[in-house]
Amino acid sequence: MNDNTSTTSTGSTFFLQLKDVSKSFGTHKVLDGITLDVAEGEVVAIIGPSGSGKSTLLRCINFIAAPDTGAVIFEGHTWKTFHSKINFLANKRYQKKLTTLRSDIGMVFQNFNVFPHMTAAQNVMLGLTKVRKMSKAEARKAAESALSQVGLSDKFDQYPEKLSGGQKQRVAIARALALKPKVMLFDEATSSLDPELVSGILEEIRRLAGTGMTMVIVTHEMNFAFQVAHRIVFMDQGKIVEIGTPEQIRNPIEARTKAFLSAILN
Amino acid sequence: MVSAEPFFDFTSVWSSMGILLKGFGLAMFCATAAIIIAIILGLIVALMRLSSVKAIKTFAFIYTQLFRGIPLYVLVIWVYFGLAIAVGINMPAIMAGVVTLGLLNSGYLAETFRSGITAIDRGQVEAGMALGLSKREVTRTIVLPQAFRIIIPPLGNQYVDAIKDTAILSIVGVPELMRETQQLADLHYRPFEFYTFAGFLYLLAVLTVSRGIAILEKKLSAHSAQTPVNTAS
Repeated sequence: MNDNTSTTSTGSTFFLQLKDVSKSFGTHKVLDGITLDVAEGEVVAIIGPSGSGKSTLLRCINFIAAPDTGAVIFEGHTWKTFHSKINFLANKRYQKKLTTLRSDIGMVFQNFNVFPHMTAAQNVMLGLTKVRKMSKAEARKAAESALSQVGLSDKFDQYPEKLSGGQKQRVAIARALALKPKVMLFDEATSSLDPELVSGILEEIRRLAGTGMTMVIVTHEMNFAFQVAHRIVFMDQGKIVEIGTPEQIRNPIEARTKAFLSAILN
Repeated sequence: MVSAEPFFDFTSVWSSMGILLKGFGLAMFCATAAIIIAIILGLIVALMRLSSVKAIKTFAFIYTQLFRGIPLYVLVIWVYFGLAIAVGINMPAIMAGVVTLGLLNSGYLAETFRSGITAIDRGQVEAGMALGLSKREVTRTIVLPQAFRIIIPPLGNQYVDAIKDTAILSIVGVPELMRETQQLADLHYRPFEFYTFAGFLYLLAVLTVSRGIAILEKKLSAHSAQTPVNTAS
């Protein structure tokens, strides 16, 4: 299947769509005309060799990396990169609007990116107080409940320095989930972890998938991707080479997909 | 030289202690006021240098180059006499001294702050943005608190330099420690003793400040060190 606009396994609710998204860093084209639909409740895993643009694609969804061209459509709103060379106020307004998009999309990073100068609870509370405008007391309660859900009920007041990599990533997951996002993005969430800690984080992601959360996951854990994802996207050199259900991708049509999978799985 | 006179004689220093300590106090005041001004200006200029607007960036660049490039000696004469002649701004000597030291140090601190801010991992900013924080909130709650910890040692050095630099303010007549020392030394014909004592006071101040900075640094880094990816359980 070489059709970018394939229907999904969980229905056809129009939810999140990337439309012809391209991005270059200098002369290097990192994303080259990416179009991708994600249905509500769907789990999409993006796989592909290093440097294929997976992480950049994820960052374009919440505009942490602004696409050069193309659009992101989320819940009926179309988002395009806007930058005026003269109207700074318009730029400001646009940046402010983007924060509403971002607050509905949770993101978990390869390097955790927990805030080292804040305790676990403070890490989670930051978004709740600043973005969701909760009072400190409310935010604390919500943070404790979010941290408890990822198994950190005894670490509320620990600084990240005192936490293991797996625990840091749990803080990061709790921090994202506490805002009750409608989509979660995982950017190689287990790649920086010691092998014995990987399965715990994968278990958290799997649990989240079970709750019906819409997710886009960039991962190198092939077995996990094939188990948890409804659809798998194979990317190479900034392009989507092939999209399909795990069964379809297991028997790929494209030679490049075949080569990548056989190299990885053997 | 009269042979009966002792080689070292600090009696005139002891008897002038009141004036010397007052001068020392003024020197500390000038350095402290200047560093406070420099922190505020330096932070603004550092953020300007990181702006995406080219004109703002360029202004900030010229600012830092200018105030880092001009010797204090020239700058203080310019602020005290030059501004009075050129645009009719007449400042008391102490004020001119504080303004001069403030400007000079703000040039250095702007660079210090900038490097502190850029040292913060890009991922920290991304994580803040992903939560839906505005640029300003990311800067205020995530970047600056972490940058502050990084810049404490160089900030302390800058303060130490400012304390010693107050000596230059004597040329426009600020009655700080060096000015008083010069005058008393001339009056009592005891330059060596007076300058030695002044040196001792500067050294004392510098050592005290350094110690304070070291304590502050230790306190702040207790739970905030940017540890590399640590996966040990």
